Amino acid sequence: MSEATEARFAVETRGHSRDLNAFVVEAGFDRSGRVLAFALGDGTLRLVDPLAPASWHESPVHDGAVLALAAHPLEGFVSGGDDGRIKHLGADRVVRELGAYGMKWVEQVATFPGEKGVIAGAVGKVVHLFDAAGRKLKELAHPSTVTGLAFDAKGKRVAASHYNGASLWFVAAKSDSPRVLEWKGSHIGIALHPEGEAVVTAMQENALHGWALPDGKHMRMSGYPGKTRALSFSRNGKWLATSGADAMVLWPFFGGGPMGKAPMELAGGDGVLCTDVAFHPREEVVAGGFADGLVVLADVGSSRILPIVAPGHGPVSALTWSPTGTHLAIGTEQGYAAVVDLSKR
Amino acid sequence: MTVGVNSETTQDPGPIPVTVLTGYLGAGKTTLLNRILSEQHGRKYAVVINEFGELGVDNDLVVDTDEEVFEMNNGCVCCTVRGDLIRIVGGLMKRRERFDGIIIETTGLANPAPVAQTFFIDEGVRARTKLDAIVTVVDAKHVLARLADSHEAEDQIAFADVIVLNKTDLVSAEELDAVEARLCQINRFAVIHRTERAALPIAQVLNQGAFDLARVLEREPDFLEDDAHEHNDDVTSVSFEVSQPIDPEKFNAWIGALLADKGPDLLRTKGILSYQNEDRRFAFQAVHMIADGDYIGPWKQGEKRVSRIVFIGRNLNRPQLRRGFESCQAAS
Repeated sequence: MSEATEARFAVETRGHSRDLNAFVVEAGFDRSGRVLAFALGDGTLRLVDPLAPASWHESPVHDGAVLALAAHPLEGFVSGGDDGRIKHLGADRVVRELGAYGMKWVEQVATFPGEKGVIAGAVGKVVHLFDAAGRKLKELAHPSTVTGLAFDAKGKRVAASHYNGASLWFVAAKSDSPRVLEWKGSHIGIALHPEGEAVVTAMQENALHGWALPDGKHMRMSGYPGKTRALSFSRNGKWLATSGADAMVLWPFFGGGPMGKAPMELAGGDGVLCTDVAFHPREEVVAGGFADGLVVLADVGSSRILPIVAPGHGPVSALTWSPTGTHLAIGTEQGYAAVVDLSKR
Repeated sequence: MTVGVNSETTQDPGPIPVTVLTGYLGAGKTTLLNRILSEQHGRKYAVVINEFGELGVDNDLVVDTDEEVFEMNNGCVCCTVRGDLIRIVGGLMKRRERFDGIIIETTGLANPAPVAQTFFIDEGVRARTKLDAIVTVVDAKHVLARLADSHEAEDQIAFADVIVLNKTDLVSAEELDAVEARLCQINRFAVIHRTERAALPIAQVLNQGAFDLARVLEREPDFLEDDAHEHNDDVTSVSFEVSQPIDPEKFNAWIGALLADKGPDLLRTKGILSYQNEDRRFAFQAVHMIADGDYIGPWKQGEKRVSRIVFIGRNLNRPQLRRGFESCQAAS
């Protein structure tokens, strides 16, 4: 029977993979979705056209490891590294330096797209903001090192996680004083609800903390066996997908949730820790990566699972959708990289 | 078109040893660090510092950090952790080049507990690194004055696995003996090296395996024990030995309650235990209330199976600790 030979994993029939021989720190598509970049622990960005994934381009960008990656507001990519620099790799493949900060690492970058777009890079306690042309706008100071950065859906506000809570800044404000969301402890990552209804942080103590907006009411989401490194809201903000358990854990942000509601668990049961999650930019479909290298897609409505990559490539460390959700990029700590075409055929 | 990664060819180099370098301002920490980095030893170290500018060696693996201590929300009052180290260890693991060790220099006034506790508490850090030794550099001329006016100087000595007693050329032989006697009074389990200008072979500082408890406890000197109850704020160290096998349940109940009650006073606790019906040695250690334990290989053929425990801390009630440890012996 011919059906019996059908591949079980989508990467084998609809994808392309490559061994990049260095820790894949992050993966990202540029604004057009036509260039995919893998940010590596060897300081390079590896670029590939997701529609023609046979030819790869290698750009040395940082002296050390790349620690953060985001699509540039206009074209190309913005990256931060342990060489203390924020750089812009243009579509012309020329590298331009946006800022240099000595021996301090640049561990976080975030961007908001468009001509009036904004670039944010965190260097220790300070977030540096630049416009799309690379001109410095301002510096936002925090009480301790910034561990996560996120723009809201309109690019009006930028949120930073740090010790004892998070700070919410208006990008265009004349006088800079943040809305400080307080909760004692070390907050190690942040996500903003796409409709602006909540700020959620991951915490050192294997739990999430949230603040409902605008009232600031606290939300606590706990029970994780490991640290949550990935937080991803669905397009309309109905669900928050998280890593840190042996399944993808999805918190409902509707019907009075997430407080008092049990989260949905998807693709669990193997006892392997989920290390990364990424919600599809349009559909209620979420991608999850696990510590053994397994990558799956889960349909939230039906809980159906589509296997994407088989285990055996090391912990999944990067998982990103193209802007329209046609392609999924995957990277692991062992340097495995893949792109899978999931568009309708 | 899949180019596979053969995970079997990826060698796991094992946990990376971490050396913590403490010492009061001016004791000679930076001199020692410069020596370590400039000596031709063919090894590559990542160095975490926070007093940028003093380091005279060009090393692309020098990381400048602010010491950021926070309290864990786990109901443990003395459980403080260095969040910056958690991030830095995570970041270093992303680099392609491998290094042979991580050296963390603390500020002169730093309490070593948060650094040590970081290596017990954070799962990611624990998986990738192991605390090799806490090395404390001491200024022979000024240490007695420092001990008189600061808790931090005393804590740094109490936490040490290795003490580099530096600037010995600035004091007389009698003064030096007096200083060393005082250091032993605080922590008699540390190895002391006398130096001028922090000159000593780096093999005496790095890769000590000092947290391999067996070694620490093996080299414990004989001493006369008096059962006087220390009732002051000075740090002292005591140790006990029992020859009957230990009942793990009794030990866990006792040590758990002891650390919960006296954790703030107990700077370091270390033990090698012979559990009942168990052929492997059990190593136990704690920093304040944060404890950790694991089996570390079998008892040697013909080796006397004794269980030993060491406490370094303040207000140590020797008779009470002795009775407590003795009560953990299994009924024979």
